[in-house]
Amino acid sequence: MLVALLIEDFIIQLGCEIAGIAMRLEPALELARTIDVDIAILDINLAGKQSFPIAELLRTRGIPFVFASGYGAAGLEGSGLSAPVLQKPFNVGDVGRLLASAL
Amino acid sequence: MTENNRTEDAFAFLGKGNGIRQLIRDFEWGATPLGRVETWPGSLRTATALLVQSSVPIVMLWGEHGIMIYNDAYSVFAGKRHPQLLGSKVREGWAEIADFNDHVMKVGLAGGTLAYRDQELTLHRRGVPEQVWMNLDYSPVLDEAGTPAGVIAIVVETTGEVVARQRIAREHERLLQLFAQAPTFMAMLRGENHVFEMLNPNYQALIGDRDVIGKPARDALPELADQGFWALLDQAYHTGEPVSRWSERLVIIRSPDIGPEERFIDFVYQPIKSDSGTVTHIFVQGSDVTERVIAEHRQRLLVNELNHRVKNTLASVQAITTQTLRGAMSLREASDSINDRILALSRAHNMLTAQNWTGADLSDVLDTALVLDGDPGRPRFDVTSPALRLEPHAALSLALALHELAINAAKFGALSRPDGRVDIVCETARLEDEEVFRMTWREKGGPPVQTPQRRGFGFHLLERALPVELSGKVRIHHRPEGLVFELSAPLSAIRESADLG
Repeated sequence: MLVALLIEDFIIQLGCEIAGIAMRLEPALELARTIDVDIAILDINLAGKQSFPIAELLRTRGIPFVFASGYGAAGLEGSGLSAPVLQKPFNVGDVGRLLASAL
Repeated sequence: MTENNRTEDAFAFLGKGNGIRQLIRDFEWGATPLGRVETWPGSLRTATALLVQSSVPIVMLWGEHGIMIYNDAYSVFAGKRHPQLLGSKVREGWAEIADFNDHVMKVGLAGGTLAYRDQELTLHRRGVPEQVWMNLDYSPVLDEAGTPAGVIAIVVETTGEVVARQRIAREHERLLQLFAQAPTFMAMLRGENHVFEMLNPNYQALIGDRDVIGKPARDALPELADQGFWALLDQAYHTGEPVSRWSERLVIIRSPDIGPEERFIDFVYQPIKSDSGTVTHIFVQGSDVTERVIAEHRQRLLVNELNHRVKNTLASVQAITTQTLRGAMSLREASDSINDRILALSRAHNMLTAQNWTGADLSDVLDTALVLDGDPGRPRFDVTSPALRLEPHAALSLALALHELAINAAKFGALSRPDGRVDIVCETARLEDEEVFRMTWREKGGPPVQTPQRRGFGFHLLERALPVELSGKVRIHHRPEGLVFELSAPLSAIRESADLG
């Protein structure tokens, strides 16, 4: 929850707009199905559940995404996904660089 | 003639020499059933002449009594019994094995032969009982009429060889015991098809209860095909170089009832070479290290999880710090707020750690969050709450939210006045198809409330983050008589679910 606030803050600092936030898998899937965005930032662990199904959904919709994780890139092991990973903790510069690389 | 007779040597048939020849010459044969040598039949003389020439131990037992005549080689075998044994009756001379010799005499004088290999006997050759082994060959000696008159025995002592063989057998037995009792698994495979020749109980335990002795490894353990083990065995066999592997994965079917099982093993394939240097066997030795590998795997997961938690917590602290500083009026105020929030986070973590992060009781969340300086036992909170188990993320978010409300109340709201109080009512209710959790925080007795000009970290957290986190709704009313905070969230989003517990 706190980390979402921080990312939100960084995004606004970077001059972007927050289209939506979800902190659980089910609302996040709902969001990913419907929302129209330029890019998504996915925490790998959403209240104990992995966010990979959201990534699959975004991929089929052609929406780029990056991950944020305390595990770092190792958090993607076994998921079959490849995407940039934001290692927690991070600063506004890290978020900006990662978003730029994914867009 | 008389002179000739006197000079004629009755023992000429013995040939020349000392030792037994001299003893035979000097012996008083007239005192024995054989009589004086001049009266001996030709067959007795010839047989005696024959045996004294031999370097193999030979004894002749003549007549019913088995009067003993033997050669130098036999006298060595007889030890201290010699020379008393010469001319004695065999049953008396070797009194300790009289029964054995009685049988020999009966068979021999009846025209039969006897042969013994490594016959065990207890002899008193040096005054003490002595365990000996011998190869014994008995055959009759016929007289002029063709009737068996004596028995001739070739005696070869094999004690040395027998003892050596026994020692080797004992060592072999000891090695087999070592093999059987070894804490590791072991097997011996013969030839290029790796035929099981031997395996120990630990190897049997590894492969399960099946008979593999005499079978090629590929046939004996068919489920190991395509797991790489046969190629390694072939490599060890053809290169003569040992092959070892650590923590190698093995899928084995120990019992058809259980099906394929995953094990991990450390092992060595050690080629065994013949004297000519060619590989004849592979000795397989190793340990089932499944438990160790699982423990290592679990530890790796734990370390990763710990690292993940630490990184997440650092990010949380970063969020608290960044956002608090952004809205701060002064560094002093920011420093106090940061400290409070980090401590609140820490208390919430303690609460969850105590329950192994499975969840927390709503009452514990309230107790943890509503801690204010100088307010022991929180007499200024009037709390009504149902028994409810929360899942960990909801518990953490709720604890942080309650802490923000309490801090705000203590600084600006009801709790900034001595008579101020806060009512907290938590309840669950059914709304249409959904069970919901509702919480109302109502302040009273505080200063007149004004809608704040700026929204700091606390309101940000309460108004933006909390509803998203709990999939619920939050309303904050800045009523003149006191702040009212209302939260409603689906129970399914906050209650500890069975699969998380």
